[in-house]
Amino acid sequence: MEEQYQQAIRYWTLAQPVVSAYVAAVVRDFRDRDDVLQAISVAVLEAFSSYDPARPFTAWAMGIARNQVGTYLRERKRNRLIFDAETVDLLAVAFEQIDSVQTRKIDFLKECLAKLEGRARQLCELRYQNDLKPAAIGSLLGMTPNTVAKSLQRIRDQLRQCIERYAALEGGQS
Amino acid sequence: MIPDLDPCELIDGYLDDALTADQQEELSTWIKVHPDHARTFAEAMLLHDRLRNTLAAYETPVAMHRSSTIESRRGGLGGSWLMSSVARTTAAAAVLILGLATLWFSISTQTASAAIRELDRIIVNSMRSKDRTFEIVVEDITTERRGKRSAMPESQRPPKPPLDGAALYVRSGNQFVLVRKTQEGLPFVTGSNGQQSWAINTRGPVRVSADVHCFDHDLPGHETSVPLTNLHEGLQQLKVAYELTFSALGPEEYETGDGHEARLLIAVKKRKERGPQRVEIVYDAISGGILRMRFVQMPYGPDRLDLRLSLVSQDELSSDFFEHTSHHVPDRKIEEEN
Repeated sequence: MEEQYQQAIRYWTLAQPVVSAYVAAVVRDFRDRDDVLQAISVAVLEAFSSYDPARPFTAWAMGIARNQVGTYLRERKRNRLIFDAETVDLLAVAFEQIDSVQTRKIDFLKECLAKLEGRARQLCELRYQNDLKPAAIGSLLGMTPNTVAKSLQRIRDQLRQCIERYAALEGGQS
Repeated sequence: MIPDLDPCELIDGYLDDALTADQQEELSTWIKVHPDHARTFAEAMLLHDRLRNTLAAYETPVAMHRSSTIESRRGGLGGSWLMSSVARTTAAAAVLILGLATLWFSISTQTASAAIRELDRIIVNSMRSKDRTFEIVVEDITTERRGKRSAMPESQRPPKPPLDGAALYVRSGNQFVLVRKTQEGLPFVTGSNGQQSWAINTRGPVRVSADVHCFDHDLPGHETSVPLTNLHEGLQQLKVAYELTFSALGPEEYETGDGHEARLLIAVKKRKERGPQRVEIVYDAISGGILRMRFVQMPYGPDRLDLRLSLVSQDELSSDFFEHTSHHVPDRKIEEEN
């Protein structure tokens, strides 16, 4: 039993970044996001005995995630700022196809974030640490919401390029 | 609204919650056009989610807890072939308990980190507006060491005007004005402009001191790092010395007036830390702006107060409002204290 539990934890640890990103893509409220993700992790561990190791684990966990997210969205179907069912399904398929190479690449984010300085670092922290939207950040820093949005877009592009550079470097060394 | 966004801008707008319903519809249509579009969106989301998880203050990655649990258990089970069946059953039960504990720990860790994020939002908002006016209501007073109280020099002084019903005006830089009413209904005003503090009694000279804290002792909290005159410092202290949780409040529990949802952050003092036993902050769920604060068992000399501060206004006060000269007639005698 403990071996099975260990296995479940090991698989879930690897699949969690993808499942978490999928939940974040369709559940907009950050508190709800945490709740839905927790419900998924509990369901994954409870149902692990029915998992067929011949199948990719992430795809199996995504199946559970789709059910949990579906339940959540049905309760909030009147909200226009939520994707429709067809888009949510297409996104689930897209997330299932994200492979371990891509998720491992994102691990370089830590190194890339360490290189961020000054205003870029401040913007990132206000957006992701304090969960502030561009309008709120703008009023804090004396910038227009549009300038903040553009800056955040540029910062994410820079981080993406940095991650690719690290990944290429590692690929070249191995 | 930004017209004609390209797909990359739509994705970034979505990540920052900045799209209108029509723009979101446009993004949804674009995702449906080709599976590659959905993949592009998914990859952007993967980075966005990792950014949030990495940067969220005090966030402890769940994966890290789980990995370390696996490692520690690996070591412990290394000689499992020697175990008796009883020992194996016991070990399995222990592992199950450990697993449940890990799961519970990860849930509680996420809840706590979400509460810290909420507190961070409150702190950021508190830095936005320059001035705040609160009304103070004292709900309850309990006095400890009653027998010793008469020996204290404080008891030999005339009774202080009550805090209940007082108005508190605060500005960054430890500037404050506290207006209390004496039993006769006359104003007793104390304050600080951040460089000197002052007290204006109903009679006698205006007392001014170069010690900025000379007259803030009439407000509880200064002795336990939760000063009511410095909101920012007090909120930071909550992060260090308190366990935090938060929840939504229904309109029947708190009416914000503008239709926004209100939330309640509850901070319970950790053992061995100083300060009020419990702090409750009702705040605007959207802006993070404080609407009401409640302090339970707040140390105040020999007393413990339960008091409530309700936000009355965030309107900017005049630049000289925190000078004593704004609160008394010009020819009043001034007495400088050392």
